[in-house]
Amino acid sequence: MNALDVRDVKKQFGAVEALRGVSFSVAPGEVFGYLGPNGAGKTTTLRIVLGLVRQSAGHATLFGIDSTSPRSRADIGFLPGDLRLYGDMTAQATLDFFARFRPARPPVLRSMLLDALNVDAATLARRVKFLSHGTRQKLGLIVAMQHDPALVLLDEPTNGLDPLVQHAFRGLVAEFAARGRSVLFSSHVLSEVEAVCKRVAILRQGEIVALETIEHLRAKVVRKLTVRFRGAVPCGLVESARVTRSEVRGREAVLWLQGDPNAVLRALAAADVEDLVFPEPELEDIFLAYYQPERRDA
Amino acid sequence: MLNIVRRQLDRNWIFLLACGVVLGGFEVLVCAMVASVDVEGAFGEITKFAPAVFRAMIEQTLMGGSPAAVLAFGWNHPVAHALLTAVAITLAARAIAGEVENGAIELVLAQPVSRTQYFGAHVIFAVCALSAVLAVGVLATAIGQLAFSLSAFGWDRLAALFVNALLLQLAIYGLTLLASAFGREAGRVALIGVMFAVLSFLVNAIATLWDKAAPFKPFSLHSYFDPREVLVEGHLAAGSILVLAAFAAVATALALIRFARRDLP
Repeated sequence: MNALDVRDVKKQFGAVEALRGVSFSVAPGEVFGYLGPNGAGKTTTLRIVLGLVRQSAGHATLFGIDSTSPRSRADIGFLPGDLRLYGDMTAQATLDFFARFRPARPPVLRSMLLDALNVDAATLARRVKFLSHGTRQKLGLIVAMQHDPALVLLDEPTNGLDPLVQHAFRGLVAEFAARGRSVLFSSHVLSEVEAVCKRVAILRQGEIVALETIEHLRAKVVRKLTVRFRGAVPCGLVESARVTRSEVRGREAVLWLQGDPNAVLRALAAADVEDLVFPEPELEDIFLAYYQPERRDA
Repeated sequence: MLNIVRRQLDRNWIFLLACGVVLGGFEVLVCAMVASVDVEGAFGEITKFAPAVFRAMIEQTLMGGSPAAVLAFGWNHPVAHALLTAVAITLAARAIAGEVENGAIELVLAQPVSRTQYFGAHVIFAVCALSAVLAVGVLATAIGQLAFSLSAFGWDRLAALFVNALLLQLAIYGLTLLASAFGREAGRVALIGVMFAVLSFLVNAIATLWDKAAPFKPFSLHSYFDPREVLVEGHLAAGSILVLAAFAAVATALALIRFARRDLP
């Protein structure tokens, strides 16, 4: 039985079609990436899964139980994208408050999470309204994971976390999955999804445009490489099989690479390179990879 | 459910304590005032020079200004109404619209708790909170009568007053909760509650004093709350209980239906 099943879910907000038949599933022990730009419908999907928003069509189940039933949420954890906690509560009281909703599931992971995310006793004694955004986000992560749920739904979990804590968090997710727990990791940043997920669904304007393993995704993504040479652009560089498109301006070449970049890197190694920029792919680059065949057909 | 009730207590206890203390103090003050002056004589002098409308008001609301009637009027005074209604409106506005506004409802309802349980916890807390504040006021009246050697109303009459006042406030709570189930901002919802309560109070007051407005009296919830009749005459009309209870139940049920169906946050 899947931890999460979403089948042909549609959601209409007045005239706006927020979701247009979204389907995917998360298997036990899987870390699943849910990738899409802001406004694509990621948060709406999660809210439907949690029974906060009613779908217009389709259905979602958690461990085989309809997501509108509170029973379906007995063994899950959730971190909202826009985390809001009670400002008048202390951090400690917040953790206790959310733990009390599951009397049969004590917060067995709390102390481990507090250590891993570097939350000390002084922080726990402070009121939430006096905590920084990053510390509140850490608190939200602990709330979501402290009872060791079988599935944790994380909506933009690394928002506001510094790089060191982001790294620690990725370690926690990996450890979590290694113990057979499932994770749905919603984000608009490809690199962080890539770092922790095995499979990913890409959402755009309420539709899943790709449901792939990370390896397949990497092979399909078109990445932009900008190289400035000390001399002229070497002949034959832009003819490489991996270069889908190129632009040459004087001593600078801009190459769009798809899949394995080794052939191009070998060619560059033989040339006299002054500078090289190879940024991580943007979501738009991924979307282009998936939309290009359609465009050609059109 | 208990977890949510406990959270409400943590959040609201200072406010509730303050309302209870002020209401209790006010009722004791009314007792002290009644004990310190010749109420009937004073009202007799006042009515000699008062305009007809004012005389009618004293007749209607204070039964000619007897000590018992003035004590009963302490429960129909705007201060008493304002304190109790503040509790009813604040709790109802915070229950849904306030939680949507501060955003915490998203994480709370992502826990294994149904909307009915969440709603029920808020209603139970409101009933307990209103009962507690009212109980302080009723006890203050009893203590004030004892302390200032005034003839006591008796516990049966005070209990009837408690029921009548609680039902009135639950009706106001229910209506505000209905607005809260539709709303996203506690302030706006509270404003709706306040406007409704003030309108209801004014309609009752005007309809009591002005014959031409009398046909509007049944449309005011406050017309079903009559401390003078309950405390002085010892009679609580079954019709008043029925109307207030039905209004509170229907408004609360409609609020639950709306809350169960709305998208959150």
